[in-house]
Amino acid sequence: MLTFVVRRLLYSIPVLLIASVLVFFFVRETTDPLARLKGSGNRDLTLIQRETHRLGLDKPLTTQYGRWLKDFVRFKWGDSLVSGRRVSTDIRDKLRNTLQLIFWGIVASAIIAIAIGVYSAVRQYSALDYTFTGLSFVGLSMPPFWFGLIAIQLLIFVPKETFHLQHPLLYSVGIHSATNHGTLDYVRHLILPVATLSVQLVAGWSRYQRASMLDVMSADYIRTARAKGVPRRVVLFKHALRNALIPLTTIMAIDIGSLFGGLIITETIFGWPGMGKLFFDAINNGDTNVLLPWLMVTAGFIVVFNLLADLLYGVLDPRIRLA
Amino acid sequence: MRRTRRGLGLIVGVMVLSLVAAACGSSSKKAGTTGANAKVPKGGTLVLSAEQELDCADFIATCGNSLWGSWTVGEQVLPRAYDVDTQSGKQVPSILLTGEATLETSPKQKLTYKINPKAVWSDNAPITSADFKYTWDQIMHGKGIYDTTGYKNIETVDTPDDHTVVVTFAQPYPDWKALFGGFYGVLPNHLLQGKDRSTEMKDGFKWSGGPWMLDHWTKGQEIKLVPNPTYWGAHPNLDAIVFKIITDTAAETQAFKTGQIAAMFPQIQLDQASLKTLPDTTLSVPYNFNYEAIWFNTSKPVVSDKAVRQALSYATDRDLIVSQLFGPVAGPSLKPINSFTTPANKEWYEEPFSKYKRDLTKVNDTMTAAGWAKGADGIWAKGGQKANITMRTTTGNKRRELTEQILQSQWKEAGFGLAFDNQKSGVLFGQTLPAGDFQLALFAQTPTDNDPGQCTNFCKANIPTSTNQSGANYTRTDDAQIDSLWTKIDQEIDPGQRKSDVTAANKLLADFVPALPVDPLADVIIYNSAKLGGPIAGNPVYGMYSNMQEWFCKTPAC
Amino acid sequence: MKARSREDLSSGRAAAAVGSAALAELAHDHAPIEAGAVAGVEPEARSQWQLFWRRFLRHRLAVVAGGTLILLYLAALFAHQIAPYTLNPNLGDPKVLLQARHGPSLHHWFGTDELGRDQFTRVLFAGRISLVVGLSVALVSTTFGTIVGGLAGYVGGLADNFLMRVTDLVLVVPALAILSIAGKASHGSVVTIVLILSVLFWMPIARVVRGVFLSLKEKEFVEAARASGASGFRIMLRHMLPNSIGPITVNATLVVGLAIIAESTLSFLGFGIQPPTVTWGNMLAQSEGSVGTPTAYLIYFPGLAILITVLAVNYLGDGLRDAFDPQSTR
Repeated sequence: MLTFVVRRLLYSIPVLLIASVLVFFFVRETTDPLARLKGSGNRDLTLIQRETHRLGLDKPLTTQYGRWLKDFVRFKWGDSLVSGRRVSTDIRDKLRNTLQLIFWGIVASAIIAIAIGVYSAVRQYSALDYTFTGLSFVGLSMPPFWFGLIAIQLLIFVPKETFHLQHPLLYSVGIHSATNHGTLDYVRHLILPVATLSVQLVAGWSRYQRASMLDVMSADYIRTARAKGVPRRVVLFKHALRNALIPLTTIMAIDIGSLFGGLIITETIFGWPGMGKLFFDAINNGDTNVLLPWLMVTAGFIVVFNLLADLLYGVLDPRIRLA
Repeated sequence: MRRTRRGLGLIVGVMVLSLVAAACGSSSKKAGTTGANAKVPKGGTLVLSAEQELDCADFIATCGNSLWGSWTVGEQVLPRAYDVDTQSGKQVPSILLTGEATLETSPKQKLTYKINPKAVWSDNAPITSADFKYTWDQIMHGKGIYDTTGYKNIETVDTPDDHTVVVTFAQPYPDWKALFGGFYGVLPNHLLQGKDRSTEMKDGFKWSGGPWMLDHWTKGQEIKLVPNPTYWGAHPNLDAIVFKIITDTAAETQAFKTGQIAAMFPQIQLDQASLKTLPDTTLSVPYNFNYEAIWFNTSKPVVSDKAVRQALSYATDRDLIVSQLFGPVAGPSLKPINSFTTPANKEWYEEPFSKYKRDLTKVNDTMTAAGWAKGADGIWAKGGQKANITMRTTTGNKRRELTEQILQSQWKEAGFGLAFDNQKSGVLFGQTLPAGDFQLALFAQTPTDNDPGQCTNFCKANIPTSTNQSGANYTRTDDAQIDSLWTKIDQEIDPGQRKSDVTAANKLLADFVPALPVDPLADVIIYNSAKLGGPIAGNPVYGMYSNMQEWFCKTPAC
Repeated sequence: MKARSREDLSSGRAAAAVGSAALAELAHDHAPIEAGAVAGVEPEARSQWQLFWRRFLRHRLAVVAGGTLILLYLAALFAHQIAPYTLNPNLGDPKVLLQARHGPSLHHWFGTDELGRDQFTRVLFAGRISLVVGLSVALVSTTFGTIVGGLAGYVGGLADNFLMRVTDLVLVVPALAILSIAGKASHGSVVTIVLILSVLFWMPIARVVRGVFLSLKEKEFVEAARASGASGFRIMLRHMLPNSIGPITVNATLVVGLAIIAESTLSFLGFGIQPPTVTWGNMLAQSEGSVGTPTAYLIYFPGLAILITVLAVNYLGDGLRDAFDPQSTR
C-alpha cells in the first residue's frame, strides 16, 4: 500500500513537470503580462521597459521557464501584476472559500446521485426511474451557467415578486450578507452556487450509479445471497450497494478536473470570491503571475484526487491489490 | 468582457475638480438642509457595492489609476488641499485649508497654502506642512509612481511653519489646484517617514485624515469604513459603510434588486432601463468627464482629407445616437457633447462642434467642393479612390456596436461605405492605436482632471512612434496652428488669457476635425430611496461617494 | 470485474478531460462492448444495416431526437426565409426602438431586446453559428482523433505510448481553464473557436478508437487479411475502420452536443465568439443583466435552444449506440 502511494506520487512528479512546461509556454504564448499596462494609456516607454526587465521578459523563454520553475517549487510565487499582493496569499485565501463549494458540491451530488441511482436500479423501468433518466439527460444537456441564471430567476426573483417578500429566500451574490454572518445566512448564499456546480455531477453520477447497481444486482453472488434467504433489504444495502459504489468513487475523483472548470462559471455568476473568480479576473487582467500558479495548484489537486480515488478503490474492493 | 471597466479609455493626467451635473441639482439643494439638520436618523450600517476591488491602497503608485480604489477608500481617508464643491462645481479650498492658496506668478509661479489648525490625523497628530513636503517627495522619488504630472514642475516645497506651505515651481503649471488633491491627497509624514510607504499602505491602512477610516478590507469580499473620530468636519450619521466587492455587473444588479446593497454606481448600460420600473428606485445620470468620440486617423487614405472628415460629421445624427442608446436610461436630459471636455467641466466646456448637425446638403457641398463625385453606386469617389471606410472599436461592447450600426446606416445615405473590424480592448489600445493601424476608431477618453489642455491628444510631439510611445495623439494630427496654440495653453497661468486661447484652439479643432465627439459616457446613480437618504449626487471626480458623511439610513439597516 | 473497471477508468478519464460526465459515461459503458459485437457480423454488410435501422427505429426517443435535429438544421439553413424580421434592423430608425423590451407576443414570439430586435430572429440566426460550431468541431476532432487513435491502436508501441501520455497530461489541467485562456487570446471568430475546441475534443475520441482498434487487432478477420498479404494501411482502412464506425459515430454525435455547450460557456464568459456574430452563448451573455427584471424572458429562449439541441443530440447518440450494439438490453 505504502509503496503504491510512493510510486504513484513519484510518477506524478514527471507528469506535473511536463505539465508545467506546457502550461508555462502556453500561457506565455497566449497572454501578455504587460497587456494591462500597455492598454491602460500609461504609455511611458521607460516604465514598460522597466517592467519587461523586472519580470525577466527580455530573457529567452526557456531561461524564463527555468527561473520560474525554480521560484515556483520554492513557493516563491511572486506578486500579482495587478494588485502587487503575494500570489501565494491570494491563492490560499481563495482556496479556503472554494473548498467550501467543492466540499458541499461533492457531498450533495454524491448523496443525491447515489439515492437516485439506487432507487432507479431497484425500481428499474418504474415511472420514477424514467423520470430520473429523463432529468439526467436534461441535466447533461444544459449549460451549467444557464441553469444558474434560471435558478436565480425562478428561485429568487419569481417568489420574491409573487409573494412580495421583503427579503429573498436565497441569495445570489457572495458568501454572506454584509451585516449578518450567521449560519442560516451562509446557507442561503451557499445553496444556489452548490446547485449550479452539482447539476452535471448529479446527472452523470446518478446514471453511473444506476448502471453499476444493475450490474452488481445481476451478479451471481447477489442471487446466491437472495437464494439463501438473506432479506432483500440487507442484500441491497449491505452487499449490492457497497460493491456498486466502487466504480463511482473513481468517476468522482476523475470529475474533479471538470469541477474546477465548473467553479470558473459558478463563482463568476454568484460573485463567490474563490479560485474560479480569481482565475476569471486573472485572465481578464492578463495576470500571468496568477494564472501559472493557479493552473499548477489545480493540477496538483487533480493528481491528489486521482491518487485518493485509487486508494479508495483499494479500500472498497479488497480484491485489488495496490502494489 | 463587459465585466471589466478599466481599459475602457485612457486615463491621462492627475485629477481633480469639477462639477456636478444639472441632473443632481435638485437633490443637492437638500444637502444644505439635511446636512445641518440634527433630526436626521443616526446610526445604521449602509451596504454598497464596489464594482472593482481596489488593486491596492498605495494610491500614488501602481494603484494610482484605480478609480474604485479611490472612491471606496482613498478619497474617504486622505485629506486634500482642493475639493470639488457639489453645488457650484468649482474647485474650492477644502476643509484642510483656511482659505484659497495665494498664487504669485512672477518671477516664478509660487503658491502659499495655509493649513487649518484644527486639521488632525486620526491619531490626533496635526496635519502639517511637513505632510505636504513628504507627499511631494514621495511622488517625485518613490518607486513605481503612477504619474508625476504637475509635481515634476515643482522646484521646492518650503515649510516656514507647521501650518504654512510654500510651493515654488520651476515650470509654470496652470492646473495647480489639482496638486495635493485628486486621488493622491496628502500623506502623513509622521507615520510614514523613514518607512517603506508602499508596504505600509498597499494592503490598507488604519490612519485617516478624512471623514471615514478603514475598519477592514477582506480581499475579494468587502471593505468596511467607520467614522474617523477625530475628523474636524461634520461627523458622519452612519455607524459604518460596507462596500461589498461585486465585480460582475449582472450580479451587482441582482444584489441591488434583492436588497443586499442599497445603492450602486455603474457605467451607463442599456439594460438599466428596466431598473426604473422597480419600486423605491431612484436613478439619475449626471455628466462626468468621460466622453466617447469617433477618432479619425488623419494619415490614412480617405479620412486624411479634411473635407471628408467634415462631411462625415455633417452626415452624423449625434442627437439620434444619444437618444437611442442613452435615452431609455437617462431620459432626454443627456445630450451629445460638442467639445473634448464635457458639460460637467463647466469652467471649460464650449460647443465648437455644435455646428455639425446632420445635413446632407452640407455633405454634398463639402464633398463636391473638395473634388469628390458620387459614383453609380452612390458612394463618393475621387481619383479612383472610393469613400469606403473601416472603423474599429472594442469587441463585446454592445453600445459601441450599436453606435457603429447606426453610423453605418446614416453614412450610407450620405454616400460613405462603412465596414467594421473590431478588436479586443487590449489589442486596440495596446497595439492598434499606437501603431496607427486604423482609419476610424470609436473609443472613450476618461480624463480625471478638468484641465482643458488637449496637447496630449493633438500635438505633433505626442504622435506615438517607435521611440516615443508616451503620446496619445493617435489621430496623427499634425497642424502647425493647433500645435502652437495648445502648447501655449499648457504653460499659460493667466486665467483670462487661457480662456480666450482655449476658445480659439477649440475652434481650430472643430474645423480640422481630428475626431468627432459623440456621447458623454456617464455613470448612473441608482439607489433605494426607501432605505437611503441624504444629498446623493454624482461628482465627476469623487463619484457618488464624495459626501457619504451626510447620508443616513431611513430604516434601521440599509 | 476488475479488468473491466480498470479499462473504464482510462476511457472515463479521457472523457472527463472535456468536462462532461456524459461522454465519460458513454465511453466507459459501451465502447468496449460495441467493438467486438459489430466486428462479429462484418460479412453480411447489407443485412447489418437493415438490422441497424430496425433497431434504431425502435428507440422512439432517438427517432424524435433525430427529427428534431433535422428540423433545427433546416431552420438554421433557411433562417433568412423563416425569420420574421431582419437580424440587424436599422437602428437609425426610431420606430425600431419603440419595439424595445416587448415581452413574448404573437408579433414577437420570443419578445424583443432593449433595442427592439426580434429575439426569435436572433435565436434562429444564432442557431446557424452554434449548430455549425457543433458539427464542425465534431468533424474536425473525429477525423483527427480517429487517425491518431487508429494509428496508436494498430501500430502500438511508441505512438500508442505517446498518445496515452499526452492525453494523461491534458487531464491534469481543467479543460475550461485552458479553453478560456486560448479563447481570450484568440480573435473570437467562429473558425478559431472551432479549432480551439477541436484541439481538446480529439483526445477522448482518439482514446476510444485506440481501444476499439486494439481489440479488433486480435480478431480473426484481421489476422486473415494480414495473412493474405494486405498492407497495414489497407487493413486499417478497409477492415478495421468500417468495424469501428459504431463507436466513432456515437462519440462524434456526442461531441456535437459537448461542443455546443462548450462554445456557449466560453461565449458567456466572454472568451468565445464575439458579437456582432450572434450565438446562443453570447446572446445569454448579453442578457445576463435581465435576470430579475421584466425582461427576464431574454434568458429563457437562447438557453432553451441549447437545451433542446443538445438533448436531441444526446438522445440521438443514445439511439445510435443501441442500434450499433446488438447485445443491448434496452
